Amino acid sequence: MGISLKELLLAALFAGLTAVGAFIRIPFPVVPLTLHMFVVFLAGLYLGPKVGMFSQWAYLLLGLSGVPVFSGGGGVSYVLSPTFGYLLSYPFAAWIAGRIAYGGPPTLMRNLRASLSALLLVYLLGTLVLSLNLNFIAGKDVSPVRAIQIAVLPFIVPDMLKALAASLLALRLRAANGAGRP
Amino acid sequence: MKFLDNLTFGQYVPSESPIHHLDPRCKIACVLVLLTSIFMVRHTTSFIGWGLLLLVVTSFSRLPLRLVVKTAKPVLILALFTASIHIFFTKGTPVFSLGIITVTREGLRMAAFTALRLLFLVLFASFLTLTTKPMELADGLERLFSPLTRFGFPAHELAMMMTIALRFIPTLLDETDRIMKAQLARGAYFDKGSLWKRLKAFLPVLIPLFIIVFQRAEDLSTAMEARCYRGGKGRTRMHPLTWRTSDTIALLGLSLVTALLLIADRTLLP
Repeated sequence: MGISLKELLLAALFAGLTAVGAFIRIPFPVVPLTLHMFVVFLAGLYLGPKVGMFSQWAYLLLGLSGVPVFSGGGGVSYVLSPTFGYLLSYPFAAWIAGRIAYGGPPTLMRNLRASLSALLLVYLLGTLVLSLNLNFIAGKDVSPVRAIQIAVLPFIVPDMLKALAASLLALRLRAANGAGRP
Repeated sequence: MKFLDNLTFGQYVPSESPIHHLDPRCKIACVLVLLTSIFMVRHTTSFIGWGLLLLVVTSFSRLPLRLVVKTAKPVLILALFTASIHIFFTKGTPVFSLGIITVTREGLRMAAFTALRLLFLVLFASFLTLTTKPMELADGLERLFSPLTRFGFPAHELAMMMTIALRFIPTLLDETDRIMKAQLARGAYFDKGSLWKRLKAFLPVLIPLFIIVFQRAEDLSTAMEARCYRGGKGRTRMHPLTWRTSDTIALLGLSLVTALLLIADRTLLP
């Protein structure tokens, strides 16, 4: 599983972009919109499974080592926050998105399928960790249905729109830069 | 609209203390020991012992206590929330009641226990990032993961990615800021219209940003190749990590203290 220098640098810069994506807040009533998920989709769709996944690992480890790249800061204590499952799911989400997107010639339908599978994975892992966190760290019983209500429902529409936007942009980027992978 | 301003760089607080000088690998191991031990605590009263340990570690780190306590701020709301749920919704022996609200002894005990456990977990974990530079931690992680290189895990590459990302986050934020201002000057609206419209308004920001990223990757790879970078194999370091006797003493001492605290928790308390 060798990584070329060019791939290493793209992954590093996408890790940086993920941090930028977490900082940009689009003002919107009720749920503020960030471009975080958008960059995660794009990392998979454009960089492919391996490089996309490592860009997200680098981002996650950077945040855990205390650089304030998460939307609420950074540091090891973030592992205990109820929303850590989402952060943890991003490398896997980028991997699955890349896996599906690079499974054949790039089309909008394939990209959409890739990013929606990634989204599903994020929700699954995010909700799982949220309910584990509330049950074991906070010591409060939360049913899976309630966890989905808190963790998934308010975000589903914006996230699907981000998946669509990322699919469109990845298609254009891959068309402009040849095969995408350097 | 300047994003760069809210980026105070990291949690690390420079100081000349015994804890700052420990090997990052030792500190990672210590935090793992502490966190697993706190999860094994059963009685609320034993947190007094853990509080004393926290004070001892704080004095060794030569950090002001106020600063350490401040790191718990992000989870404070969660701690208060879970505590209040336990206080008001646990059934048991009532202590006092007001209308439909009944506070029970069991509820108070559970509230104190979960809130304290969460706070101590966060406070002990934060010592790792308060006393270690992010790049030292990246080095430590690279060394800890290096046995996995045999199975194809790119430990060196991952640490390198972290270093480069850290270097370029301020640059990328600056560029984003500049592009956003340029688009605003050309009549872009980022805070008007439907969700889809707002998202679409960001495409003219993102496309130049991606072009900059690809350009930077190109430039950097040329620069690094010109300086004969060829991966982690055989690469030497400016500051090689060294495991000293003090690291062994710190790890063993801490393990001993936590073991004693846990034994006290299991045997001395009812």
